[in-house]
Amino acid sequence: MNKTGLPKDSYEEKIDKFDSKDVEKALRIFKERLHSDYAAFLNSCVRCGLCADSCQYYLTFRDVESIPAYKINLIAKVFKKYHTQAGKRISRWLGAEEISQVLVREWIDTLFGRCSLCGRCALNCTMGINIPYVIRTARGALAEVGLVPPGLQSTVDTAIKSGNNMGISKEDWLETVEWLEEELQQEVNDSNARLPVDARGSKFLYTINPREAMFFPLSISAVGKIFYAAQENWTFSSENFDVTNYGLYSGDDVASGEMSKRLIDSLKKLNCQILVLAECGHGYNSNRWEAPEWLSQKYDFEVKSIIQVIADYIREGRIKLDPSKNQKRTTLHDPCNLVRLGGLIEEQRYVLKQAVTQFVEMTPNKEKNYCCGGGGGQLAMTRFAERRIKVGKIKADQVLRTGAEIVATPCHNCIDQFMELNKHYKLGIEIKTISEIVADALVLNNPKKISFR
Amino acid sequence: MLEILRYGVILAFCVSFIALCHLIVKTYLFNKKPVYAKSQSRPIKGIVYALGKGMMPWEKESAGRHLLTYLGGILYHTGIFAALFYLFLLLISHRLNSTVVLILRILMFAGIFSGMGLFLKRSTKSQLRRISCPDDFASNLMVDVFLLLALTDTYTFRFRSLFFAVAIVMFLYIPVGKIRHCFFFFYSRILFGLFYGRRGVLPQRRKQSRVNYLI
Repeated sequence: MNKTGLPKDSYEEKIDKFDSKDVEKALRIFKERLHSDYAAFLNSCVRCGLCADSCQYYLTFRDVESIPAYKINLIAKVFKKYHTQAGKRISRWLGAEEISQVLVREWIDTLFGRCSLCGRCALNCTMGINIPYVIRTARGALAEVGLVPPGLQSTVDTAIKSGNNMGISKEDWLETVEWLEEELQQEVNDSNARLPVDARGSKFLYTINPREAMFFPLSISAVGKIFYAAQENWTFSSENFDVTNYGLYSGDDVASGEMSKRLIDSLKKLNCQILVLAECGHGYNSNRWEAPEWLSQKYDFEVKSIIQVIADYIREGRIKLDPSKNQKRTTLHDPCNLVRLGGLIEEQRYVLKQAVTQFVEMTPNKEKNYCCGGGGGQLAMTRFAERRIKVGKIKADQVLRTGAEIVATPCHNCIDQFMELNKHYKLGIEIKTISEIVADALVLNNPKKISFR
Repeated sequence: MLEILRYGVILAFCVSFIALCHLIVKTYLFNKKPVYAKSQSRPIKGIVYALGKGMMPWEKESAGRHLLTYLGGILYHTGIFAALFYLFLLLISHRLNSTVVLILRILMFAGIFSGMGLFLKRSTKSQLRRISCPDDFASNLMVDVFLLLALTDTYTFRFRSLFFAVAIVMFLYIPVGKIRHCFFFFYSRILFGLFYGRRGVLPQRRKQSRVNYLI
């Protein structure tokens, strides 16, 4: 039985079985993955606690376990115990601690359950400690001993096994594209409009979040329409089309590298020049910034977000937009992995300002923005769902203060969280991707009117 | 006796410095990996930002929200540097003029005041106490005593032996406990600047957007 009186699930039983062999394994991987930068960070924390107010978990729950300094010190305890001479000798004095079942339980609850890896604390740390990346390293140690919370682990496993995180078969994917192509042809009134698959020598290889194929096909149509309007030379891959990489959240570098490598393999196989990533925050961070490190490889091709591509089209006059087609007051949510950790900050603003008549910023915004609460794998970890919704209140309030009717966000993870927040906090908003808004504003010759979402 | 302690301080400082350098090198050699992802911006810009403007309260929400603690921290560290400077001058037997002594006294006094304030904050705030270990309190107290003795020494020579003895203990303790952050602070801030500088996140060319765009 667990604390709530319910029978223990297999995951909790696994934690109960955490033994000395697991300790050894976890420590080995922790040492292997602990980059020198992170070792410096673990030597730096002075436990001033000023980071507390930057964390939305702390702002929501006001408990010590949610303070970023507390979280990083759960890891520093182990670092000091096993990797510093002083920590080995005067452990209690320095707060060093051996890894144990009790500590592992706390790691799981705190490092997985109280952190969306949004990085807001890092930006506010007096010492400049990159807290989410150190936390990710500790998550990696838990991944090595099979202690990633089940929902998140199964998302990674599905992606590794089937090539995408929703387990969509190749046949289903091709059927979806075919159906969407027909829709596009009808909409733009052109039987030559295409959603190409495996078109060798295309300039762009475009990737999607598999949730688009399953639940939000109009997101795919929107991008198809934009490419059509810009007369772009692009293609999907029939095999590897998943931009997401939940290994970023589970901390498993091997799985993460494998997922990103598949996209590169397809790009090479199809002889494409640029890997274009769908609107996905962590997909962008993974494939633009982290994958070269996971794979120890310098890329000889460009990696771009679809937002950058659209912004270029507008600047070059390749697409024409009529903002009067989007008259509702629109605000923008900045996905942490795209903005604070990805450095893509102004492009989405530029695009929105061309595509809508009323654009209003949230406060704070850009790199200082709050996470929606769904990042860090939170959406996949059902055991922490209640916390996730509570934490999202800060974002819900931010949205309400703007008075916006539409929230635009270039991230499907964020969209999922917003849909739940919308329902729970009765926000009465529409949630759209940037591409959907742009597609609605596109000026084409004789198109039929279809609204995206 | 005083002469022995004087050499003891110099020796302790050297030991501390070497130990800290060893720590930094040891840390630097920890799983060093080259960076493969192509930079979006010049990393140096990020480093300059991290060590300058990036520490200002208007740039850093945590500092802005806790202005008193932030100012306390600045005064504390300024006081420590003033005391170290005073100790250095004592060690090389340099005579100070009264204006410099007055400035050092003010800085050291502010340092002690702030240091004690930070100690009280850590002792009385339950959450801060829970994230602390004995080293956090000891390091703070040790430095406060060092500051107090440095300030006292500007008025009377009577406690100089004790001042030197405390300085020896403090220097030897630096690499062991949290005071090692005197070196790691710069290391961490540079890494912070590199990370956000490479990714083009910081420094931001444009400020936080406040203007709403209405056609």
